[in-house]
Amino acid sequence: MTGTGTGRPGAPRLAVVYCGGCNPQIDRAAVAAALPADDPGVRPGAVVYLSGCPRACASGHALTPAGPDEGGEGPAPGAGEAPQVVVAGTLVDGQPVAPDEVAAAVTRKLKE
Amino acid sequence: MALRTPEEYIQSLADLKLRIYLFGELVEDYVNHPLIRPSINCMAMTYELAQHPEYEDLMLATSHLTGKKVNRFTHIHQSVEDLAKKVKMQRLLGQKTGSCFQRCVGMDAINALYSVTYEIDQAKGTDYHERFRKYVQYLQDNDLVADGAMTDPKGDRSLAPHEQADPDAYLHVVERRDDGIVVRGAKAHQTGACNSHEIIVMPTITMRPGDEDYAVSFSCPSNADGIYYIYGRQASDTRKLEETELDVGNPRFGGQEALIVFDDVFVPWERVYMCGEVEFSGALVERFAGFHRQSYGGCKVGVGDVLIGAAALAAEYNGVARASHIRDKLIEMTHLNESLFSCGLACSYEGVRMPAGNYQCDLLLANVCKQNVTRFPYEIARLAEDIAGGLMVTMPSAQDLADEKLGPVVEKYLVGTSDVPTIDRLRILRLIENLTIGAGAVGYRTESMHGAGSPQAQRIMIARQSNIDHKKELAKAIAQVGKPWDTSKVKKPAAVAR
Repeated sequence: MTGTGTGRPGAPRLAVVYCGGCNPQIDRAAVAAALPADDPGVRPGAVVYLSGCPRACASGHALTPAGPDEGGEGPAPGAGEAPQVVVAGTLVDGQPVAPDEVAAAVTRKLKE
Repeated sequence: MALRTPEEYIQSLADLKLRIYLFGELVEDYVNHPLIRPSINCMAMTYELAQHPEYEDLMLATSHLTGKKVNRFTHIHQSVEDLAKKVKMQRLLGQKTGSCFQRCVGMDAINALYSVTYEIDQAKGTDYHERFRKYVQYLQDNDLVADGAMTDPKGDRSLAPHEQADPDAYLHVVERRDDGIVVRGAKAHQTGACNSHEIIVMPTITMRPGDEDYAVSFSCPSNADGIYYIYGRQASDTRKLEETELDVGNPRFGGQEALIVFDDVFVPWERVYMCGEVEFSGALVERFAGFHRQSYGGCKVGVGDVLIGAAALAAEYNGVARASHIRDKLIEMTHLNESLFSCGLACSYEGVRMPAGNYQCDLLLANVCKQNVTRFPYEIARLAEDIAGGLMVTMPSAQDLADEKLGPVVEKYLVGTSDVPTIDRLRILRLIENLTIGAGAVGYRTESMHGAGSPQAQRIMIARQSNIDHKKELAKAIAQVGKPWDTSKVKKPAAVAR
């Protein structure tokens, strides 16, 4: 993890954790700006780990918030708590999406 | 069962009573066959080193399934440190054998299948992953060798599997039954297959709709009914039958490849991990290839260590060790070898935790690693031959050296520096011959070229992941592409204006 910030000023409902951005395959700032930071449908405390490429530096090299075999270096499991979503390039929680669909896919995850 | 000893492994291999054909004959006592045994000794080294505390950190891992210590070759990587230790373990084994030790391919297969079976289940509601976890635990609990069998014969490369004139050109399902499937076909170039307890089959290319019968992955015992092996030849292989260790170059260790034939083999459903899910075949191929291309950043480096050492000794025995060009060539060989190791480590440390919980190496860097492996060992081998001199391919036989009349003559004229016995000088030259143009070159050169995929396969993967659009944007920003062009601000430099 190389940087943190919120998607927009004054939007504490949703935190965005950025990677350092050395080799982005997506426009991370644009994805963050398109996230539903003010949406009451998103549980407060939600976190989006936003990496520009599949190396997933923002989430400690994990493609999902939690796998079936817990441990490793990724973010802690968030079952029953505020949602966590991992973006790694065009992978959202490990699933490939079109580059222009990343923000929409994250938004769906945040509202599940 | 605890970790097996090398002796227990070899006995267990003999007990399988595999059907291995060599020179057109069924080999009965294959574990003691002089042409096969060196490759078995390599595999046994993966058991031997696991017995020693000084190698435990690399050779053993803690199973995430049972919490027990297992041989790392049966381990599912749980961290980037696991990925890096894998590469270091492979370098160690390359150093100890000077050869391909064959157990990597099964390790790479189980790690690729672990994540892909999970993702198939998530998408399709199948239970492949649970079956596969049980299978991995079976391998770990019994310290078994698994062969990862991917490469089909492929027939006409311009045609899809289901379009081939002979439907068996790619291994496929010929019957689906209530209790399992029946498969037919073959897998080519199978490293270590005849030294394995188990065979893990995977598709060899990305399958498309219409290829459902070919999108199949399963495991079976290596002695399952319907399976037999046709042993592959290697350069100078019959020197191993001459019973003169000297001329073999690497008398104790060697590689092994075979053609596995599946002649209507039954596989129960609990051993099937993909059956018709064509959309996941590409991911399986890419991940397995990624792991195996990472592997080459370890194993070939270890063999490279042996070759560099042999070249340095040859120079020493020739009395030229202090020559500046010799030292420079050894530096270049080391630089190339360590560059390969750097790639193997880099793709490990940039690995990621997959949705299934295991760790996958970085695919771009793994492909860069293997692309370099298709080149650097050739240059290292060229430099070794340069340093060794022509004697490595013109020296008399071991029988001449042992002959009562000719032996003293060979001793007299082929001695190097006076403090080194002629036999040791010849041993080192034969080792260089083995690794550069002999039986060992199968593993060090051609396997470096084509094993884990030929060079073009890596270039396709590199192109796919090169993120060229980002690079274009970087160049545009630096060069100010798109900025309005104001000619009024263009002035001649003061020096020109004068």
